[in-house]
Amino acid sequence: MGDSQYSFSLTTFSPSGKLVQIEHALTAVGSGQTSLGIKAANGVVIATEKKLPSILVDETSVQKIQCLTPNIGVVYSGMGPDFRVLVRKSRKQAEQYHRLYKEPIPVTQLVRETAAVMQEFTQSGGVRPFGVSLLVAGYDDNGPQLYQVDPSGSYFSWKASAMGKNVSNAKTFLEKRYTDDMELDDAVHTAILTLKEGFEGQISGKNIEIGIIGTDRKFRQAPALTLSPFSLKLYGGVMLMRKMTFWL
Amino acid sequence: MSRGSGGGYDRHITIFSPEGRLFQVEYAFKAVKAAGITSIGVRGKDSVCVVTQKKDKLLDQTSVTHLFPITKFLGLLATGMTADARTLVQQARNEAAEFRFRYGYEMPVDVLSKWIADKSQVYTQHAYMRPLGVVAMVLGIDEEKGPQLYKCDPAGHFYGHKATSAGSKEQEAINFLEKKMKNDPAFTYEETVQTAISALQSVLQEDFKATEIEVGVVKADNPVFRVMSTEEIDEHLTAISERD
Repeated sequence: MGDSQYSFSLTTFSPSGKLVQIEHALTAVGSGQTSLGIKAANGVVIATEKKLPSILVDETSVQKIQCLTPNIGVVYSGMGPDFRVLVRKSRKQAEQYHRLYKEPIPVTQLVRETAAVMQEFTQSGGVRPFGVSLLVAGYDDNGPQLYQVDPSGSYFSWKASAMGKNVSNAKTFLEKRYTDDMELDDAVHTAILTLKEGFEGQISGKNIEIGIIGTDRKFRQAPALTLSPFSLKLYGGVMLMRKMTFWL
Repeated sequence: MSRGSGGGYDRHITIFSPEGRLFQVEYAFKAVKAAGITSIGVRGKDSVCVVTQKKDKLLDQTSVTHLFPITKFLGLLATGMTADARTLVQQARNEAAEFRFRYGYEMPVDVLSKWIADKSQVYTQHAYMRPLGVVAMVLGIDEEKGPQLYKCDPAGHFYGHKATSAGSKEQEAINFLEKKMKNDPAFTYEETVQTAISALQSVLQEDFKATEIEVGVVKADNPVFRVMSTEEIDEHLTAISERD
């Protein structure tokens, strides 16, 4: 990886034992748009703000939540271009697993391989770490799972997590509201309320994205239509839940 | 305590600064602005139009261009460093031709834009290549989605746009276009072209002659990418001045 002139690592230890480039990468993540994920008893939901640089941007051309396999989805906070690279690599890894074993890749394995890629870029010559943290949501034989992967390549399984600009408020909110026996509908409702907490401006179906996976093991994205501004504002999510449950 | 500035190299190659920024990428954006040219793109109901300035009057105008056909159906307007733009165009032409050969159908606008953006991302992550100092606007008619205008920047971002701008007066132009496109108008071909040209005129505060601007268009009824002739540009300029 990298030209021979750069066959030394750019990420090196500081005298105090820190890998400074990784810390800077985490800062880049921390200044990215807020995203979060919640694991319910019967599924997982991930959500993110979708703030576009101008009203001139065609929001249908932007998709921050991507699916890696039919039963695994991912969202990020941080640098969009870096995210695309990881999505591409992860999809290829999932497909290679499937070709070899004729089975869908388990969530933990895909997370592990993606994390390994991210770690490589903290040690290889001539490259910088990825400026994204990922939230991977999937449903396999081990049930619903939610993992967070950091630029360093370390990953953890979470019941609920948040990343990006509003991380501390969002996590506090989630800690208060999370229950182990939450249903998927409640989780979606909570996710939207958490996003709303730190949202600058008017929240609507056009400036957030939601991805959901339930017991049917099919990762789906909420179409903007079901998140009408009317439902989000006036009914604080109750009407929204009714609209969402019909297609869950 | 660790040294704050990453050994001072964070300004020379694309590694993170302490605030989590990539200075080389930010400098690449500045290089685009430093070229002193502003470009504008507008997407209408069934057409897309891009406009850019031709700066130097003493240059042989037929040899200067920022508007490149990538395939018969895809156009690219490059704003920024011309030499970097030529590399990008060469690679894009190659990629689009290979796509057509491999898959048997024309490369769509968004696929080409994604390819350009992914290549730009590689330059932001690998130290041995600097980011290109070019913002590329790609236009074409998509078989399924209709007219498309995409903008790709040195950071590796790419978005579809209803209207956009790049170059030295980018922000002023975007403000102007936001006002015009606020209620999601569906411009006809003439309105699309005239909005693009009048936006450029308003932002640069000068009235152009037909030889001072370059205009490229694609229309749904004839999806070939076309650079407008001076006569046609003249017609549109006259229409604009009469309208005002």
